[in-house]
Amino acid sequence: MTDLLLFQLRRVGRNKQYLFFTVLLPALFTIFFTKVIGGQAPAGEYQDLAGAVLVSMMAYGAIGAALGATIRIAFDRSSGWLRQLRVTPVPTGSVFAVDVMVGALLVLPSLLVVALVGRFVNGVEFGLGTWLALVGSLWAGSVVFVALGVAVGLALDAQAAGAAIGILGTVLAALGGLWFPVEMFPDGMAALARAMPSYWFAELGRDITAGTFAGPPVMVLAGYGVVFAAAALVVARRRPLHAVAG
Amino acid sequence: MPEPLALDVRGLTVRYGSATAVHDLTLAVPRGETVALLGANGAGKSSVVNAALGLFRPAAGTVRLLGREPAAALEAGGVGAMLQHGGLPSEARVGEVLALVRRRYDDPWPLADLVATAGIGGLLDHAVDALSGGQRQRVLLALALAGAPPLLLLDEPTSAMDVEGRQAFWTTMRGLAGRGHTVVFATHHLDEADAVADRVVVVAGGRVLADGTAAAIKSRIAGRTVRFRCPGPRDGLTGLPGVTGISGDADLVELTTSDAEATLRALLDSRTALPDLEVRGASLEQAFLHLTTQPDAAEPHATEGALR
Repeated sequence: MTDLLLFQLRRVGRNKQYLFFTVLLPALFTIFFTKVIGGQAPAGEYQDLAGAVLVSMMAYGAIGAALGATIRIAFDRSSGWLRQLRVTPVPTGSVFAVDVMVGALLVLPSLLVVALVGRFVNGVEFGLGTWLALVGSLWAGSVVFVALGVAVGLALDAQAAGAAIGILGTVLAALGGLWFPVEMFPDGMAALARAMPSYWFAELGRDITAGTFAGPPVMVLAGYGVVFAAAALVVARRRPLHAVAG
Repeated sequence: MPEPLALDVRGLTVRYGSATAVHDLTLAVPRGETVALLGANGAGKSSVVNAALGLFRPAAGTVRLLGREPAAALEAGGVGAMLQHGGLPSEARVGEVLALVRRRYDDPWPLADLVATAGIGGLLDHAVDALSGGQRQRVLLALALAGAPPLLLLDEPTSAMDVEGRQAFWTTMRGLAGRGHTVVFATHHLDEADAVADRVVVVAGGRVLADGTAAAIKSRIAGRTVRFRCPGPRDGLTGLPGVTGISGDADLVELTTSDAEATLRALLDSRTALPDLEVRGASLEQAFLHLTTQPDAAEPHATEGALR
């Protein structure tokens, strides 16, 4: 299975678009939003604002990385590669497991790069324990979006899946208050934001940086995770990995 | 215990929704045979191959590859396959893909020989996305051969190849057959079936229409058609020497024959006039169409003896 994992990681690594959208773009956004919002802030509030932007962008990058890596299942199905693998001794179950692992692993570089940019470019200061807890908990929480990406990747064909990566990422980020804080939203939209898994994903990070780690984000994310994983299983049963696209 | 058949399909029925693609089809291929599944597009060839590989569950019937269930036979590395809708991964190099698959076999085909046999020398460093259609097909062949499998199932393997590519491909297949591999391939080219296969199984409408040596099948379906205006009674036409089938409309009659000369001689002896007489080679499409519609034709018995 290790060889299949390395094989898949190498393939994603060659995809410049993926690297741009999941690592470079969130890093650039982190600098941009911090300069725009933090630039006008009174000196005493800069740390809070820059910290909030950092957490939002870590969440944004992680969601993009998790979705982008797993929705690729649709490309491998449409190209006929999964069907081809089905007629070799490579067990289909391991292909599926590896794609989940690839999704989970690729979240990490995105989280780390944004965190480093936050620390060294924007000068965000947390204790070492907070940094570790922040990266660790967002990494763990990103499993929810890996499950969502697997469900979508199994359900859609290549073209729709390509569009879905961008659309889902944008909708989750914008409506979940990752680009503009929910406090700026009108009431109705704020209520909508609080129903998004992306809001609670970022909330998990905010709780950790505020030192008020509590149950609600974990419980909401766990709920979403179960729903997305169940959806993925249902779709996988209806459209086996080796089925022809369409 | 006798050695299990390479391919043992019994009573196979495949349905897509309400459409039945394969009807109660039975096919036994002993080891070492080279068999062509010959049929027009939509005849059910791919359905047979895909069901044989366990890519979907048939509505009825059983399939055994080398004495095992398809999934078990594939996992054991006994079967190599080229699919019509098979493909290669994007953003990978040919050598990486080949290594990934070769590593799964206990006793893979030695790399240098595999590369030479599949004709992919110089392609190992190439990006998959940059391959031509023919190159892709050769890489897919290399994947099918990676485990030196005793049984090869190929679904229209030459469809993306040019003429030279086809010739090279079939030379390779003859070589494999000569080394004792069992090769079962689907094709709609009579010449391919004729050039490579020991045995040709003609499939149409999801049924086996004819099963015999390539030469026998060729004479059956590569026959000629004799056509003339015949508004009157047509008694006895199917009994003429060489005639294998009859079709046509109220005005024209069309006889398919394996021996146009004998048929014409007999026709000229028995009839005073043969208006608008035409003799021409039957295309494969005509032959298939004819074979397919035969059971519903006026005198189906005319062909049955010859086909079995």
